[in-house]
Amino acid sequence: MISTEICHLSARQLGRRIQKKEISLVEVVAAHLARIESLEPKLNSFITLLPDQALDAARQAEKEIREGRYRGPLHGIPIGLKDLYYTNGIRTTSGSKLFDAFIPPFDSTVASRLREAGTILLGKLNMHPLAYGPTGENAEYGHMHNPWNPALIAGGSSGGSGSAAASGECTLTMGSDTGGSIRIPAALCGLVGLKPTYGRLSRYGLTPLAWSQDHAGPLARTVEDCALVLNAAAGYDPNDPTSIKLPVPDYTRGLTGEIKGLCVGVPKEYFEVPLDGQVKEAFWKAVGRLGDLGAVVSEVSWPMYPDSMAIASTIQMGEATAYHSKLIRSHGSRIYPPVRLRLEAGLFISSVDYVQAQRARSLFYQRSLDLLREVDLLAGPTVPVTAFEIGETKVKVGDTLVGAIALLTQYTRPFNLNGFPAITVPCGFSVNGLPIGLQLAGRPLEEETVLRAAHAYEQSTDWHRRRPPI
Amino acid sequence: MDEKFRLSKDAFLKMAEISGLDTTDPHMEELYSFIRGVFPGLKDIEKLDLGGAEPFMPSISVEGGPK
Repeated sequence: MISTEICHLSARQLGRRIQKKEISLVEVVAAHLARIESLEPKLNSFITLLPDQALDAARQAEKEIREGRYRGPLHGIPIGLKDLYYTNGIRTTSGSKLFDAFIPPFDSTVASRLREAGTILLGKLNMHPLAYGPTGENAEYGHMHNPWNPALIAGGSSGGSGSAAASGECTLTMGSDTGGSIRIPAALCGLVGLKPTYGRLSRYGLTPLAWSQDHAGPLARTVEDCALVLNAAAGYDPNDPTSIKLPVPDYTRGLTGEIKGLCVGVPKEYFEVPLDGQVKEAFWKAVGRLGDLGAVVSEVSWPMYPDSMAIASTIQMGEATAYHSKLIRSHGSRIYPPVRLRLEAGLFISSVDYVQAQRARSLFYQRSLDLLREVDLLAGPTVPVTAFEIGETKVKVGDTLVGAIALLTQYTRPFNLNGFPAITVPCGFSVNGLPIGLQLAGRPLEEETVLRAAHAYEQSTDWHRRRPPI
Repeated sequence: MDEKFRLSKDAFLKMAEISGLDTTDPHMEELYSFIRGVFPGLKDIEKLDLGGAEPFMPSISVEGGPK
C-alpha cells in the first residue's frame, strides 16, 4: 500500500489491518511523518512534532501486538493532540508563546487514556492562542490553513486538529470546544467532530478557557472513529469535579444505519440569523436525506435560542478573564492582541452580570430539555458560512457584513451553554469546493443517538470520502 | 451607542485602573471601542424574566441533566 493511502484510512480501517498484522506500524508512522513533512509548509498544523518518540512508540506497539498483547481498535493509531492537552514531559503551549517553554509534569486524563488505548502521539497541534477564538489564526506560531484551500481559515480554536485530520497528517485528532472549537474546524475542514455531554470526557489537564463550557472531544474522518475515541477516553475521573460517574457504553454498538422513527426537530429560529444560501441548501438536502432514511422531521421553536449567545458570552468572558487574570496584568502586552482585547474586556463583566447570566442559563437549560422532550434530536447547519480568508474579521452573508466570531459560533455555542452532546458531519460542498457541516444535537448523555443518526446519514452519502486537493 | 449600555470614557478609564490595567497604554482606546461594541449585546440578558431562576450549577444532579 502506498503511503498516501495509509494516511487516508479511517482509524477503524487502519486498526483492522494492524490487528491482522497486515501492515507494519513503523511503516504507518513513517508514512504519516512523511506526509506531515510535505504538508506542514502549507498547513502549519503542528506546534511540536515528536517523530523519534512516535517511531519508538510504533516499535513498542508492534512488539506488543506480535506478542499477543493487542489493546484494542486504537492500538497503533497515529493521533495528534491540541496543544492545550497536558502531556507529561512534552511542552504544552496552549497556542501562546508565553507558554513556549511550559512542560507539564503530568498527563491530562484524556491523553493518558488514549495512550493506554495504544494510540501513537505524533505531536501537539496548533490552535488559536489560549483557545480564545474560532478562526484558527495565530500570529505567534503561524496561522493554521484549510487543506481545501490554504488561503482560508481552518476554523478554531482547534484549527490544527482540523487541518491535520482532514489532510491525513493524523488519523485522529483531539480538540476542545467552549463555543464550537471542535465542531467549527471539523465543519470547515470536512470532518466529523463530536462535543460530548459536559462531564462525559474529563477536562483534567486541559488548559481552561471557560470551565463551565469547556469540553474535550475528537475530530475524525468518520463517525465510527469518533465513537471509538469516546469508548477509549470517556468515563469518570475523580480529578475533574464535573466528571460524570456513570458506566461508558460501547458507542459503536448503535451504529446500525437504522433511524426509522427518530424525531428530528429543526428550530425555526436558525433561519432568523445570518445564513449563507449554499449552506442553507446543503442543510435542507441533508434534512431531506434524514427523512428518506425514516426520520420524522418537523419544525420546532426554540424561543431562547437567540438569547443563548449573550448568556454564553457573558459567562465565557467572566470565566476566561478570571482564569487568566494574573497573566493579563503581568504580561498583557505579550498576549496575542485579539485575545488580549477579549480577556481585558472580561474585567468589565460585573459579578452581577455573571450571576444573572448563570440564572438565565438555568432557564435555557430547562427550555432545552423541554424542547428535547418533543424531539430526539435538533438539526441545523454547524457553521452558517464556508471557510473564508485568513485575516477577515467581518464576513459578507448575503448583503450584510457580520462579525466573524459571532457568525462562526452562532449555531454551536448554545450546546456549550446547555452541555448537550452535538456532532458535525459533512453534508455537502460549496460551488468553490468547500465543506459544509450538518450539526445534530441530542439529550444529555445520549451520545449514542447522536452518533447513530450522524452515522446513518454519513453512510448514505459520500461526502466523507472526498479528500482535500492537497 | 446603545441606550441600554452607557460607559463614559472617564468611567471606563477608572474601571480599567481599578482592574490593574495600564491606562496610559495606547491600546486602551481600542479596548474602549471593543467594549462599546460588544457589551450592549450582552445586556440583552436583562430583558429576560429570571424570576425564580437560580444560577446554573452543573455539578448538582438535575433530572434528565448532565449529572
